[in-house]
Amino acid sequence: MTLPFPHLRRFSARYVAPLWRWYLAGTAAVFLTNWMAVRIPAELATGLDALRAGAATAGVVTTAASHIFALGAAIIVVRTVSRLWFFTPARLAEFELREDLFARLLKLQPDFYAKYRTGDLLSRATTDITFARAFAGFATLQGANIIAALVTAIGQMAAFSPKLTVIASIPVILGFLVVRKGSAALMGIQRATQQQQGLYADQLLGALQGISTIQAFNVEVPFGARLGERASVLRDNNIRLARLRALVFPLFTVSGGIAVFLLLGFGGQLVVNGQMTAGQLAAFISLVTYLIIPLRLLGFLLPVFQRAEASLERIHAMFDAPVTRPELALTASGSGSPASATTALPPALSLHNLTFKYGDVAVLNGLTLDIPAGTSLGVFGRSGSGKTTLLRVLARLENPPPGTVSVDGVDVTAGDLDRWRERMVLVPQTAWLFSETIAENVAMGLSPGVLEAPVRDAALEPDLAALPAGLETVVGERGIVLSGGQRQRVALARGLAHARARGAGTLLLFDDVLSAVDHHTEQILIHTLLGRSSEASETRATPTCVIVTHRMSALQFCDQVLVLDEGRAVQLGRHTDLLAMKGIYQDAWNAQQGDG
Amino acid sequence: MTRGSPAAKTAAKTGSPWGSYWTGLWPDLRPDKLRFLLAIVCVPIISAMGAAQPALMKRVLDDHVVAGKAEGLWAAAGLYLAAVLGSFVIEGVYTIALSVAAERTIYRLRQRIVTHTLGLSQRFFERQPTGQVLTRATSDVDALSEALSQGSISILLDISNMLAVLIAMFYLDGHLTLALLALAPPLVAMIEFFRRRMRVLFAEVRDALAALNSFTAERLAGIEVLQLYRQEERTQARFRSLDAAHRDANVKNNFYDAALYALIDGISSMCVALMLYWGGRQLGVPGSDAVTVGLVVAFVDYIDRLFRPLREFSGKVTFLQRAGASLEKIYWLLGVTERITPGSVVLPDPTPGRLVLSGVRFAYRSEPGDESGKYDILKGIDLTVEPGEVVAVVGRTGSGKSTLVRLLARVHDGYRGSITVDGVELRDIAPTSVRKAIGSVRQEVQLFTDTLRFNLTLGEVVSEPRLADALRLTNADIIANRTPEGLEQPIRERGSNVSAGEGQILALARAMVRDPAIVILDEATASVDPLSERLLQEGIERVFARKTCLVIAHRLSTITHADRILVLDAGEVVELGTHAQLLAKGGAYAALYAEGFQDAAVAGRAPL
Repeated sequence: MTLPFPHLRRFSARYVAPLWRWYLAGTAAVFLTNWMAVRIPAELATGLDALRAGAATAGVVTTAASHIFALGAAIIVVRTVSRLWFFTPARLAEFELREDLFARLLKLQPDFYAKYRTGDLLSRATTDITFARAFAGFATLQGANIIAALVTAIGQMAAFSPKLTVIASIPVILGFLVVRKGSAALMGIQRATQQQQGLYADQLLGALQGISTIQAFNVEVPFGARLGERASVLRDNNIRLARLRALVFPLFTVSGGIAVFLLLGFGGQLVVNGQMTAGQLAAFISLVTYLIIPLRLLGFLLPVFQRAEASLERIHAMFDAPVTRPELALTASGSGSPASATTALPPALSLHNLTFKYGDVAVLNGLTLDIPAGTSLGVFGRSGSGKTTLLRVLARLENPPPGTVSVDGVDVTAGDLDRWRERMVLVPQTAWLFSETIAENVAMGLSPGVLEAPVRDAALEPDLAALPAGLETVVGERGIVLSGGQRQRVALARGLAHARARGAGTLLLFDDVLSAVDHHTEQILIHTLLGRSSEASETRATPTCVIVTHRMSALQFCDQVLVLDEGRAVQLGRHTDLLAMKGIYQDAWNAQQGDG
Repeated sequence: MTRGSPAAKTAAKTGSPWGSYWTGLWPDLRPDKLRFLLAIVCVPIISAMGAAQPALMKRVLDDHVVAGKAEGLWAAAGLYLAAVLGSFVIEGVYTIALSVAAERTIYRLRQRIVTHTLGLSQRFFERQPTGQVLTRATSDVDALSEALSQGSISILLDISNMLAVLIAMFYLDGHLTLALLALAPPLVAMIEFFRRRMRVLFAEVRDALAALNSFTAERLAGIEVLQLYRQEERTQARFRSLDAAHRDANVKNNFYDAALYALIDGISSMCVALMLYWGGRQLGVPGSDAVTVGLVVAFVDYIDRLFRPLREFSGKVTFLQRAGASLEKIYWLLGVTERITPGSVVLPDPTPGRLVLSGVRFAYRSEPGDESGKYDILKGIDLTVEPGEVVAVVGRTGSGKSTLVRLLARVHDGYRGSITVDGVELRDIAPTSVRKAIGSVRQEVQLFTDTLRFNLTLGEVVSEPRLADALRLTNADIIANRTPEGLEQPIRERGSNVSAGEGQILALARAMVRDPAIVILDEATASVDPLSERLLQEGIERVFARKTCLVIAHRLSTITHADRILVLDAGEVVELGTHAQLLAKGGAYAALYAEGFQDAAVAGRAPL
């Protein structure tokens, strides 16, 4: 048998249960508050009846009044703490959940990120967590409050008159059912509206980003109309929402009004017949009014549970997703190997029949080659030939099958991933910048003093001179204030800075980043990288390099050039050897030399 | 990023939510003025019906229940029920009328903003971050929608309700009402104190959340870089501090929130005590009105009705203030007048396509009264392109090539000198006619999240044969036929399912769908895969064979296919001639040729 709400229970056990002292104290305070709140109508009944009896009982009236006053004052304190003792632990639980989730996200590897859109992950890490908190705070408080209110108020009402209690319950229960149904429908429309808002914003953003195309083709009018269509869907949805809202919530007030009407009629009869006092009837009416508020919230409670369950399911999916780090399993079984203990020597790589598949498609197919320590490999091929995937496999952004890639003679997947990454620098094709200063983006944890050389080597200096605050320029979201080329040069500088910091024992992986610099800079850079510049002495070890590029002017300096086509190594050799062979490389050379 | 928008300044000047700028909304409000009027008419009726309910309840209790008069009891109670049901109906009418009117108004405003914005000139977009413009038509408009449906008239309703309640209370027992009202000033002061504290705290919470969420968003999107550079620990530490700040701000805010809630609750109980006490004292005083059971019950209800709007009032004023600030920003955007001045001359269709530039000068910025032209990017360009001729423009980064393209595509205005198409000055030609005459292909391909067809037609009606011709001519039919959906295949967000090379082919096809007489082609520098490269070259050559072309060329193969080559340097024409002539001359062109054009061109882009 499966219990309902498995994810709520899992979340509660892990994050809420340790805070049970808060909740226990909070529940006690809630019961105390409700008990006092219900005492007030009872005192009122006594007071009102004494008031009717005349001057003889004036003392009773004053006593009742002072009791009510004291209760009112006490309620201020107790109600405040009762709310705090639910909301505070909810915030604490939220904090812990957020921490753990973020830590988990940092551990998860690219194969996980390939399965989810960033927007989706983000909404799990932000919106979904707030629903979990709503459960831990709002729902637990209101749950306790509703139970306390029902127990105390109904007890008091039944003490006045069981018959009236039943009569008053009928419209209130009906009203509750209507609101419950209605609020479920409201939630549905609300979600649809949010989606519509997202779609509208996306479409508008697309239009704004494409504004120069829109204007160049003079299609402002059709684009405006297309956005108008989206906006009108949004409008109609909002109107539906407003209509339903205008109906559902006031209905609950009406059901309370009907209850009061029935109380006035039936209860009035009871008072006239002498079965009840007028003060008691008045107290009864205020008790019903008092109950209406938590009951109205009850309608919201079930959706909160459901929403939190769904949200937690999405959050737990991330906790449950496997972290694909094969070496962890190996280390656990005791055969882990420090394949990449920090060393002053650059790594020697060896690929043995490396085949790598995304799903069923082999993106790399049977690659076998050696990259001796300190040598360079240029990779050439059309897009989709597997160049980027090769770099990702070497960086273990994707894990190669065991036994296909070895570093210094040891299987790369057996070594510790973190150690391996410390020996390696990959500059990806698409530059990713954080909305910080250029200096912070280049340094990424390095001390700012080491930035000068990498900034110069990446030809970033002319860009910096043109920017308002130079290295201290804040690049904006995704580096928006920079041009595409500038972004790539910043990323290149970052890679160069970290390569230097890691010393000679490094593997450098460059994915098509040379296109960010001009021909002249490229030549200097390639010579510096490959240790061929005049100042590079024979004694200094050069890093092992794998450079993906279309530029043959750079490839000619590589120790080997690998030509990839559909994941296969179709040619491998020195630039000059490849030029002499018929094939893709020669064709491309001829095309780049022109006249083709 | 720090360029302060004028909106910020004006908003500071007119902080009041009642400012006259609401009148600027009139054009959008007007079509629904009857609905708004209906809502306003409902206001006093709602107040009266609401205020009548406790009084009717009092009548039942005092005249029948306490008096022991069973006869007419149900009728009197029925009157109370009628008031309850009547309130429900009239409030429904009010809410629906108001929200429908508000939504429709908002829709019109949104459209006004979008239509206006799409027409603004490129200079505006170069200055203004896209996100900010987006916010005007989304968040700012939403704030306004909130204010319209929950702020404006609903504040009127609150005031009217409170007035009606006070009138009813005075009518029932003036002395008791006065005694209770003595409590009001300290109460209002207290609520206001809490509200102020909470507003500050709320801003803290909001900022903490925004910081936390944007940090999360950015780090998630850049997770690979973080992992590659071993930034996990550093990132987690920064996250922790943001998370803790968010938690602490909330815990602090929770205290005030809980206390305010409890305070209002407790105080209404204290009012009940006060009434009872008052009643007890009145017992001994001859000639004064007795405090009856019905009166106490009615007053308990009235007090609740007085408190409720008080509790929500400052929230509503906040809505209005926020909407006021949003409205300021929206008006600022609507007030921007930078746009291309449209001409009115209509060229014949088809038109031969003779392009003449004489003494064309252009600057992105200028100082008033400064005629020196020191900011000029183009410094007097002369060029005649005969119908069917292909002219390639080459030059180093910053030579003014891209600026020239922008001028010809009419995305920038304000050139000096003369540009004519078949004898008509470019700035005088009607926009629709310019587009018929000149098609442009930009370096950066902009694709929209929609079907392939939409990305080619851009929402215009294009005949199937015309579309098919353009596709065949540019080899885009190969892309269209790669899936069974053909032209209906979806193009995903920013063309993420289209390769760079395919994007360029589509951009060329998009221009050719309009069958323009002149094609301005800004060749992309990004390297594309060899297959796409070949298809693209083929397409470009076919276009060259048919049209007048001005091409900013980066590839030697493109350059050698041109009839003539124009070499730009620092905004001036330095050489003009055929490939062979210029090579023989051994000047600027020969130097560029020696460097290999591809590489020379990549170093950067044109300014902005």
